[in-house]
Amino acid sequence: MSTKEQRERIELLQGTLDLLILRTLLRGPAHGHAIAKAIELNSEDVLQVEQGSLYPALHRLIKRNWISAEEGTSENNRRAKFYRLTSTGRRQLALETRKWDKLAGAIARILRPAGQEGES
Amino acid sequence: MKRRKRMLQELDADIRDHIERETQDNIDRGMSPEEARYAAQRKFGNVTLVKEETREVWSFTWLEHLLADIRFGLRMLRKSPGFTAVAMLTLALGIGANTAVFSLVYAVLLQPLPYKNPASLVVLNETTPKVGTVSVSYQNFLDWRTQSHSFSQLAAVHQINFNLAGISQPENISGDAVSPEYLSMMGVRPFLGRDFGASEDKAGTAPIVLLGYSLWQSHFGGDPDAVGKTISLDGRAFTIVGVLPADYRGFDKTDVMLPIGVWVTDNPEGASSRGERGDMVAIGRLAPGVTFQQAKTEMEGIAARLAKEYPATNDRFGVALQPIRDAFVGDAKPAIFLLFAAVLFVLLIACANVANLFLVRGASRTKEVALRIALGASSGRIIRQMLTESFVLSFLGGVLGVALAVAGNRGIAELIPQDMMPPGGVNLNGAVFGFASVVVILAAFLFGLAPALHATRPDVQVELKEGGRTASAGAAQNRLRGALAVAEISLALILLVGAGLMMKSLYLLLQVDPGFRTDRVLTLTMDLRTQQYAKDAAVLNFWQALLDRVRALPGVESAAVGTVVPLTESHSRSDVTIEGMAAPAPGDYPHPDVHLVSPGYAATLGIPVMRGRAFTDHDNENAPLVGMINLMMARRFFPKEDPIGKRFMFGHPSTANPPKWFTVIGVLGDTKLYGLANPARLEVYIPLRQRPTSKMTLAVKSGADPTALTSSIREAVQSIDKDQPIFAITTMKQLESDSVATRRMTLVLLGLFSGLALILGAIGIYGVISYSVAQRTHEIGVRIALGSPRRDVFRMIVGQGLRLAGIGITFGIVAAFGLARLMSSLLFGVSAADFETFAAVVALLVFVALLACYVPARRAMRVDPIVALRYE
Repeated sequence: MSTKEQRERIELLQGTLDLLILRTLLRGPAHGHAIAKAIELNSEDVLQVEQGSLYPALHRLIKRNWISAEEGTSENNRRAKFYRLTSTGRRQLALETRKWDKLAGAIARILRPAGQEGES
Repeated sequence: MKRRKRMLQELDADIRDHIERETQDNIDRGMSPEEARYAAQRKFGNVTLVKEETREVWSFTWLEHLLADIRFGLRMLRKSPGFTAVAMLTLALGIGANTAVFSLVYAVLLQPLPYKNPASLVVLNETTPKVGTVSVSYQNFLDWRTQSHSFSQLAAVHQINFNLAGISQPENISGDAVSPEYLSMMGVRPFLGRDFGASEDKAGTAPIVLLGYSLWQSHFGGDPDAVGKTISLDGRAFTIVGVLPADYRGFDKTDVMLPIGVWVTDNPEGASSRGERGDMVAIGRLAPGVTFQQAKTEMEGIAARLAKEYPATNDRFGVALQPIRDAFVGDAKPAIFLLFAAVLFVLLIACANVANLFLVRGASRTKEVALRIALGASSGRIIRQMLTESFVLSFLGGVLGVALAVAGNRGIAELIPQDMMPPGGVNLNGAVFGFASVVVILAAFLFGLAPALHATRPDVQVELKEGGRTASAGAAQNRLRGALAVAEISLALILLVGAGLMMKSLYLLLQVDPGFRTDRVLTLTMDLRTQQYAKDAAVLNFWQALLDRVRALPGVESAAVGTVVPLTESHSRSDVTIEGMAAPAPGDYPHPDVHLVSPGYAATLGIPVMRGRAFTDHDNENAPLVGMINLMMARRFFPKEDPIGKRFMFGHPSTANPPKWFTVIGVLGDTKLYGLANPARLEVYIPLRQRPTSKMTLAVKSGADPTALTSSIREAVQSIDKDQPIFAITTMKQLESDSVATRRMTLVLLGLFSGLALILGAIGIYGVISYSVAQRTHEIGVRIALGSPRRDVFRMIVGQGLRLAGIGITFGIVAAFGLARLMSSLLFGVSAADFETFAAVVALLVFVALLACYVPARRAMRVDPIVALRYE
């Protein structure tokens, strides 16, 4: 049984990962590996996500009906599972993005309050 | 959950595919295949863990945990069968008693009434300060209906009895004459046939009836062709136009229903005279948006106007409104609430007891819990697991309890006064089972939470080091256990005080001299309703023939007929004027109960003649008009004179009402006509032959068991008129017993519950003390070894128990003082703070507490110091 603290930290990461997956799929359906690559590329490799953790996140999003999975063939004619943003997922992404902006803004204000910039 | 299965099945392939792609990418970047695969795997992370976490997304971990906890709980309960049996039985008693009483509460107070939107239905009666609530006069009803705006509809319901003959044995049935809109207002549609038409409230309405469902079943075999046939009521043919639905519920049994126009036709006088208050209530449906209070205010205004307008009949008459539910429940409400509160107390005591048991067992499990916490179990998880154990126990107790309730249900139903009983009876239904489930859950929390929180609190290190010995189970836990025992004693005291007060009330009530004899007197009623009794002479002949034949029966000591037998529902009151009395306001005339009786009435019922003489056969239609009055009447109106020879008349003197004076020839003792708990009222008695009437109750004093006479009396009646039904066959003893039925039911159940509480409370104290003795064996051993007399040890232990009892008793007395006042409407002749009752209950509790301490104290006294010390 893991301790509480650890579990909370994981949850926080997962929540962020969920948001990134949704954002990535906004550009169109993609398979798992492509999603991982896109997140890495777009974050300029700052976010080093263990690629495996993508899968629990994908399954959680499917369970919540924010994305759907379908069989398809990829560029080199290989069978692959494609993940696609649902309309619920689209709404959720907008919501989560707003929440994230708010949170990020608030944290930024706390960390660098206006007026203290010069003094410190 | 097909999605779940498919997603998980393909997970392996997806992961393999992912890693292959990454490997390919790496190869493309110039790595060797081996290196590329290794890097891809490292980047992916722990495959097994990923799979596990993904699987967890789809699984119901909480459900799996719950099932594991339940299995574990069952195993733990099986491992200590003694504990489980005691706890389960305690809970079963608590939950069973609650379920049984709730089934009563539901049937009487909660079960939806079978009407459309019953919440807006209001029952209206008239009131007079002389009597209280009385029936409505039809003329007043008609004025109420035209003048009020609070009701969208207002209907009259007049209770009538009929003699039904020609189908089986002649019998007396009850019916309602109702305004034609009554059924549609109530939202009731006939099961068969038609509702009454709007015009069927006028004089001249043809005799038609709707049959009650059960009469239709019993007398017509449920034959739909009954509609259109006729039924013989009072010797007249009524056309059956339909059948009421099976779930129809009236205030009395409704064997037949007829439009009020039929009653208006048959009783032109009753329908047109405003002073005639027969047996009618009005029922109204509040207009949309009108509150009960608004309707009440409006109706009171109308009643006040009518009182001014028609002082002769309405002076000081008001109006009483009540929601229809209250009209059904009557005065049983406080008793039911009392029982419900009592049974909740029993449950609380049961929970306290089980919590105590859990704490004892928790003490022996501290090591297990500490070990689990040390191994990383969160305390939340352990609390959840222990609560699950409580739930399992509570559930098992609940199942057993409901079984007990099912068994006890019949008994409770028998205790309920008949008029309180809804037609479906008291039974266990969905609502009752729902309630039982809620109780099970609440109980589990009540007795499970404190021990669970306690179990997870101890310092892990200390517990493990202590090697599981329970010496450090801690002062806090002992305090909690003591507090639980104290609470049990307090609750038991409250219940015992309630039961004690009820017992004393009932005892005092049965000591009340009713003013008449109840031993070996049979009563039965007859109503001569057919055309052959239209003439007074025929009526008188029937009663005379009846008395002659009954008096001749072997075993009969005396027999008489009278109109108002004490303790029955039937009453007849009238204003009287006493000769020479200054004329009071119309509403202030003396308003005695009027008895029309045959000679021998006072002797048969054992009502003492205080002055003068009783009626004889000579006080007949040809003799001067005479009457008897009761003692109260004599004292009130002739305080200083001899009432014999004084005269009174019925009604108010006026030119339209030439005086017909009755001369007082005797004074009888007062009788408790309205029940033992109610004060006597003014009464006058008139010889039957001077005021013939068709409905009378025959009272027969027998030398032996009076009920043995029933069949020979029935034969006597049939030999005079084979179609004449007799009904309401009972004994005065039974009437007396019925009159205290609600109180007796309350006493029996309260006694049962408080007895249960006492036993559980005693077990509680016993448990706490004997556990503490076990804990202190070492200490006691040391004391004895150091020379402390064993008597002192005994005293110390008993003192500990008595201290708990003392605290509990103190709290209990304070609470009982407050709570007993709420039951004062159920008490008779005893104050809610009755010293004797409180003293007796305290003495009983102290005695029981002593008893509960005795065994553990003896055990403590006999502690062998050597054994106790070696035990270390």
